[in-house]
Amino acid sequence: MMQGPTGPATSVATTSPVLRIGGVGKRFGTFTVLDDCSLDVAEGEIVTLLGPSGCGKTTLLRCIAGFWDADSGSITIDGQDMARVPVNRRPVGVVFQSYALFPHLTVARNVGYALRMQGVPRAEAARRVAAALETVSLTGFEDRYPAQLSGGQQQRVAIARVLVMEPRVLLLDEPFNALDAKLRGTMQVELRQLIKSLGLTSIFVTHDQEEALTMSDRIAVMRAGRIEQAAPPDEIFDRPATAYVADFIGSSNFWPSLVADGRVSLPDGQSVATGLRGAVRVMARPHNLQIAPPAAGPWQGRVAFQRSVGPLVEYHVETEGGDAMVKVVAMRRAQDRGFADGTAVSLRIVDPALCAVYPA
Amino acid sequence: MAEASYTAPLATRGLGERLVDALLSGRGIWPAVPAIIVLTVVAVIPFVILLSLGFSDMEVSRGAIVSQTFSLQHLTNALTDPLYWTTFQRSMTLALTTTALCIFFGYPVAYLFLIGGRWTRRLILVLTIAPLLTSGIVRTYAWLVILGGRGVVNSTLMSLGLIDQPLRIMNTHWAVLIGMVQIHLPVMILPLIAVMSRHDGRLVEASANLGASRLGTLRTVILPLSVPGIGTGAALVFTLSYTTFVVPQLLGGGNYLNAATMIYEQVVYSLEWSKGSVSSMILMVTCLIVLVAIALVTNHFTRWTKGRDA
Ligand SMILES: Nc1ncnc2c1ncn2[C@@H]1O[C@H](COP(=O)(O)OP(=O)(O)OP(=O)(O)O)[C@@H](O)[C@H]1O
Ligand SMILES: [Mg+2]
Repeated sequence: MMQGPTGPATSVATTSPVLRIGGVGKRFGTFTVLDDCSLDVAEGEIVTLLGPSGCGKTTLLRCIAGFWDADSGSITIDGQDMARVPVNRRPVGVVFQSYALFPHLTVARNVGYALRMQGVPRAEAARRVAAALETVSLTGFEDRYPAQLSGGQQQRVAIARVLVMEPRVLLLDEPFNALDAKLRGTMQVELRQLIKSLGLTSIFVTHDQEEALTMSDRIAVMRAGRIEQAAPPDEIFDRPATAYVADFIGSSNFWPSLVADGRVSLPDGQSVATGLRGAVRVMARPHNLQIAPPAAGPWQGRVAFQRSVGPLVEYHVETEGGDAMVKVVAMRRAQDRGFADGTAVSLRIVDPALCAVYPA
Repeated sequence: MAEASYTAPLATRGLGERLVDALLSGRGIWPAVPAIIVLTVVAVIPFVILLSLGFSDMEVSRGAIVSQTFSLQHLTNALTDPLYWTTFQRSMTLALTTTALCIFFGYPVAYLFLIGGRWTRRLILVLTIAPLLTSGIVRTYAWLVILGGRGVVNSTLMSLGLIDQPLRIMNTHWAVLIGMVQIHLPVMILPLIAVMSRHDGRLVEASANLGASRLGTLRTVILPLSVPGIGTGAALVFTLSYTTFVVPQLLGGGNYLNAATMIYEQVVYSLEWSKGSVSSMILMVTCLIVLVAIALVTNHFTRWTKGRDA
């Protein structure tokens, strides 16, 4: 499938990428887990692999870390092909989904593990361990065992343990999974700031799109072993390359339509230009729709359901003639309490240019 | 307990019912009561009788004990008898060597189990458990066939021209040691495998990712985490081989005196029950000392499992 467009503002084409994944494929028996995955990650960039469970995110990480060999394609770091480089010599640090801390080692010895394996002199190792623990605000926890730490503290040890070896590429596989929602939110912001301040080139795996939007410079949306689109969060959100991406990120409304004279007509009577022909699907985000009291216009409906999402209200509108339930997001209005369930309303698309058109 | 509300009120229940309840779900030592009764009858009482034999002077007339007075005479006799010292020393050396060799040969098997695929694991399990399904006596006799004068080892070495005369392996210290290690090896491997199969593969990956070689991972991650298995295995192998009777008796050709064979002779041949009793007690106490030592060492290396809730 086509690679999502990467605008000039986003591609850091001036320097060559730190990590280059070129057409990586991986199969288990006859089952293809990764299919021709390509992705470049620039110096200091945080790229998120986002996709549903089982789409191959962990598999791709494991190939980069060297736990598994890719069947085809190449992985290069700083221009060096990793194919023949064993796991323990790759400049890659992994933060595991379950942290995989060594239960028999204290926090200090967990963090100092990589240095011990490299034979770094004790004094220097101690200094670097102390520095790493300070970075993740765990000073004072040196002599605890992992079992004596909370989930969030364990995660910070896992991060410090990897930071101390100064990897070229940092891989994080769903590092927030074990944390409760509130802590997750704070840790996301903290971790992003930490990675950014250290300038680490990172790949971050999640199947939580909010997490992806918080953490990433770029999001690579995966589907069944392929990367559908890799682009900055705004672009993924505003100009999803495929209907799948549009559906997966944020909420969306789809209508089938036909192209006539290079234009697709929208349900409210407006139209939008497209290069496609024949049958297509048109997508509009809920916040690109406007809900109003019934008025003259081709697009009428009735509020079927509504719910408050913070300062916004999401309406599900049953449209006349159409069988689709249309989602509309509007600001909550204090003065009139919005539209009650069952109210007749009319709909309008605010900016037709923001509607996307995909092959049917 | 939530179930408490479904059972009849205390007053209306019979004593038997309440007793069964206490035994099945009671607190404290109640659930252990049946086991305690059985052990008291079959182990504690005979043991007390045995001890009383060793710590008393008896007058026996027509096969019945006439009088019995407390005495440390048998114990002092034993402790000043050089034969006891050499015998127990031999037993101890043999048992410790066997334990060490079992760790040495058993650990690689367990490591193979850890890194091996499904079939390797099954094969190791079958090969470890199969010998346990046959009696120790049978397995010991098998060594007679292998190590004997015309046994497999000697005939092979002779047909290869490496030796002219059959080596005398049977009825030596070496035969006993070889037999002991082979017989007790499964008892070492099983606890090790139990530890290994609970092992978290991601720790091995994490250590490789952090730059450890295979040997480094083995030394710093796998080995320390399998200490409980080594401890259990060592305790079992030591106890079994320190107190073994069959192997030295058969492979030592009747002239290999260890603690168990000595007690056997004292009790069965020379009918000196008091001596036998004292020897048994020394055997048990020394065995316990070593077990405590093993437990302390194991504990020292598994400090990290303590204080989970600190
Ligand atoms: N060792 C294996 N043998 C066979 N199939 C495997 C193996 N490991 C993973 N798979 C398959 O590969 C596919 C991708 O797995 P992967 O773990 O990469 O998914 P994921 O995107 O990380 O999912 P999740 O979000 O649930 O972690 C899955 O369909 C899985 O069943
Ligand atoms: Mg995964």
